[in-house]
Amino acid sequence: MAGLRFDDVFEGDDLGPVERELSKDQVRAYARAIDHDFPRFTDDEAARREGLPGMITPGNMSMGLLATLIDDWAGPGALRRLGTTFRGLVLPDRTIRLCGAVTHKDDASRSVELDVWIESDEGERLVIGTATATLA
Amino acid sequence: MALEFDRSILGREFDRSEFAPVTADELIAFSRALGASQRCYVEPGEELIGHPTYCIRFRSSRFFPDTLPEGLQARMSFDAGKDIELGAPIRPGDRITVVSTVHDLYEKTGRSGSMVFVVVRFTITNQRGELVATVDNRMMYRGEG
Repeated sequence: MAGLRFDDVFEGDDLGPVERELSKDQVRAYARAIDHDFPRFTDDEAARREGLPGMITPGNMSMGLLATLIDDWAGPGALRRLGTTFRGLVLPDRTIRLCGAVTHKDDASRSVELDVWIESDEGERLVIGTATATLA
Repeated sequence: MALEFDRSILGREFDRSEFAPVTADELIAFSRALGASQRCYVEPGEELIGHPTYCIRFRSSRFFPDTLPEGLQARMSFDAGKDIELGAPIRPGDRITVVSTVHDLYEKTGRSGSMVFVVVRFTITNQRGELVATVDNRMMYRGEG
């Protein structure tokens, strides 16, 4: 699992942006994979009856997407901590961007602190978070 | 009116749930649903491990203890966020145990009025007693109880 080297990373470095468009079938597949297949994550009509604009992406899936962003950047096994706040609805069939930046390097632990977020095509930050990754 | 609750509920175990052994197919289906393409997440074999957020799948059978303040359950609730600290990776055959505690409970006042936050902590271990993850689930309750 060779990953990114600590010495090759600098504060201010960007992760992504990675553009994604989640299909409704992808969201349903995720909801099934975590035994979380509630109607709001699988069915437009049922979601509207709950007052939502249509089926939505589970917050956990947004967190998983941000973990994948970090994994693809640093390599598997690097991610040690991830904290997220869900601020807006992530809707399927819309373009989103997975983004991040290195905010701090810690020489002693060879770890980096990251800001990560998911933004809509309009630039609204729907999910924000911070993470810690340990590098080689 | 400020929320009153018995602080002795904090940190006290209110649920312990055990799960059937993890299968390779489950790990791969989860990773593929996220679009993860690293070999260690999607190819069967000795190197296969769970995606870092696979631990979220494991939830206690009771999400809240019976000792939460009266009236809280009547409010509208939202998933406000999560914090995960990762330990040992999950592998096929692992038997997972989740121990649940109320880690924190606090009140804030925002533009829309009173908001109560309940942080439920899942401490997730495997059959070897290794810490797999600590997951703090922040639930927000709006309105008056």
